[in-house]
Amino acid sequence: MSENISTEELNDPAPRQQKVIRRISFSPLRLFADLTELIQYRDLIVTLSVHRLRVRYKQSLLGVSWALLQPLSLMVIYTLIFSRVAKMPSDNLPYTVFAFAGLLPWIYFQSVLVNATNSLVSHSNLITKVYFPREILPLTYVIAALFDFLIASTILIAMMLYYRVPLTPNVFYAFPVVVVLTLFACSMAFLLSASQVWFRDIGVAVPLLLQIWLFATPVVYPLSAISALPRKVQSIYILNPMVGIIEDFRRVVVRGMPPDFYLFNISALVAIAILPVAYIYFKRAVATAADII
Amino acid sequence: MIDLRLDRVSKKYRIRQETEIDGTRHGPIHKLRRLWRQSHEFWALRDVTFEVERGEALGIIGHNGAGKSTILKLLANITTPSSGEITINGHLSALIEVGSGFHPELTGRENIYLSGSILGMSRGEITRKLESIVEFAGISEFIDTPVKRYSSGMYVRLGFSIAAHLEPDILLLDEVLAVGDAAFQTKCLKRIKQLERAGTTIVFISHDLYSVKRLCDRVLLLDRGRIIASGDPGEVIKTYRHTSRITESKSDNGLSFPNPNPDPGLQFEVEQVDVLDREGRLKHELRTGDYVRFRIVWRAKEYLEDGGVELGIYSENEVPLIRYSNQPISGFDIAFKPGLNAVDLEFQQFPLAAGEYHLSVGLSRPMIAWLHRNDNFAAFSVSQGKIFKGEYLLDSDYSVMAVPHRWSQDIEQLEGNS
Repeated sequence: MSENISTEELNDPAPRQQKVIRRISFSPLRLFADLTELIQYRDLIVTLSVHRLRVRYKQSLLGVSWALLQPLSLMVIYTLIFSRVAKMPSDNLPYTVFAFAGLLPWIYFQSVLVNATNSLVSHSNLITKVYFPREILPLTYVIAALFDFLIASTILIAMMLYYRVPLTPNVFYAFPVVVVLTLFACSMAFLLSASQVWFRDIGVAVPLLLQIWLFATPVVYPLSAISALPRKVQSIYILNPMVGIIEDFRRVVVRGMPPDFYLFNISALVAIAILPVAYIYFKRAVATAADII
Repeated sequence: MIDLRLDRVSKKYRIRQETEIDGTRHGPIHKLRRLWRQSHEFWALRDVTFEVERGEALGIIGHNGAGKSTILKLLANITTPSSGEITINGHLSALIEVGSGFHPELTGRENIYLSGSILGMSRGEITRKLESIVEFAGISEFIDTPVKRYSSGMYVRLGFSIAAHLEPDILLLDEVLAVGDAAFQTKCLKRIKQLERAGTTIVFISHDLYSVKRLCDRVLLLDRGRIIASGDPGEVIKTYRHTSRITESKSDNGLSFPNPNPDPGLQFEVEQVDVLDREGRLKHELRTGDYVRFRIVWRAKEYLEDGGVELGIYSENEVPLIRYSNQPISGFDIAFKPGLNAVDLEFQQFPLAAGEYHLSVGLSRPMIAWLHRNDNFAAFSVSQGKIFKGEYLLDSDYSVMAVPHRWSQDIEQLEGNS
């Protein structure tokens, strides 16, 4: 862009936006331009998210209740296995409430990973024909999963009322916890969906990964249970950002306690550090996705 | 003012050829090394540099594989270049591949919002233009039915109509003029002309040399990823004809034209056109007034219920003299079967005078999309034939058409003749 400004341009009543397309690089300076562009496409994000939700509920028999069925049924299964059979301790709470409070954010995370991984490949017809910021595709799945999460949280409230579990002002800490969870889920969505374009077996590995991850996170067992593990293992264990997120969500919502700030900081740090890396990786990997998708 | 600039743009693809590797004898390292060596690079574009002024209509032509669709994808930002830069001043919209983004379960109306926002329109804009979009596509009765119930014609018309209501600063066009019937195509052309008059910059990438000549101020010729000519449409098209080395078949067998730029990767492709006589033998010479059968042979990789085959004969000035298709022009249905197919186009008395002509071929889904086009398939000449009773043998410089006719005189018609 080394040309001098002509008199035409000076008199131009509607100066135009300029866009330069070049081979994509790791430049963090582009980050600002990318985010600005994303904001410009906000209409599309809304439209696609609404569309995704509408299609899902139009097609299914159960409709909105599907969002409730998954956490409920899992809670029942885990209660039977871990509480009745294995007699798992549950932080002085009825196991059902304990499990549900852990499952709620976990299922949010899980559904983002499972759905977003294939989001680019399944929309190959759009990617090869039209330009729009590709990150919108995995993001709409994050939004849809968040929507399901909010619906299912009404069940949690109902269960807390039923079991007379008190709600304290600490529950407002749930907001930053969910924000950190969402940021981390977005990073994973970017990493997985971009990788899936180039290595199609990623999609197959994700359910297995999640299964292992579930048991490496205190969802069905309390965090206190890991004290049985050697110290070295414990210190690696808590590096898993989901540990802090799940444990703190449970603490502030159903246990009426303030969050464990140490764990929260680890989760937040990991989530915030990974996000720009995941985004830049996504943009780079996906720039030429149309060539091979 | 420059609206579009390509600066030393190159695009490389890596093509991997998979070959059978004996799995048992070689270890995984050996296999990986073999795989790496199999893949080779293909430069779709090399150092392409050009500019488009505001309000200009630029055409880009070249045979299949020259890099036209790569430029299209780069301009639409569907992919990024391997090196070089593309600078776009303003909003660019591509009127290509319509109907993308449609979800079958949603109604036409819902899909207009979905597709429109994918193409870059705001919700407010879509609402404003909704009625016009529906009317342009001619589907007002069906706007609230799920698009899975639409005919393929309605589907593409709606897709095209949404795209036609974009008001971009720069418009990118490709072979869209296959969509819909003649009335719809006229509507589309009018819309494109409207945009042109309003000062929209246009980039038209196409095989259709006649349309390129009519619409464009300037034309670029691409060959194997490089620009080899640029300038006045008529001149560049002539260069295209000459550089393609399309000469009459020198085969002793007769007038037989194989595809000059075969692309085995295509799903559907015309392979050959033969010029035959009444007995089905290759003709050695085509004269005015001869009985002739043009046999078009094409390859289909899959079954197609309703296929279109087109044969066109153009004058040296790119005027389409005869351009007929079984559908939608002549009303003769053809189904494409996997493998080789053939059809004959028969003229009892070939109606063109002596001269030089070009042959074009095309395969399509009638009124929906082009599958294969080549406007530069072959060149041939027609020799003088005695079709009329007079001494002067017709020549295309004098009169191109040689159509049976009759002169008659009825003296009684003149009033006041004694």
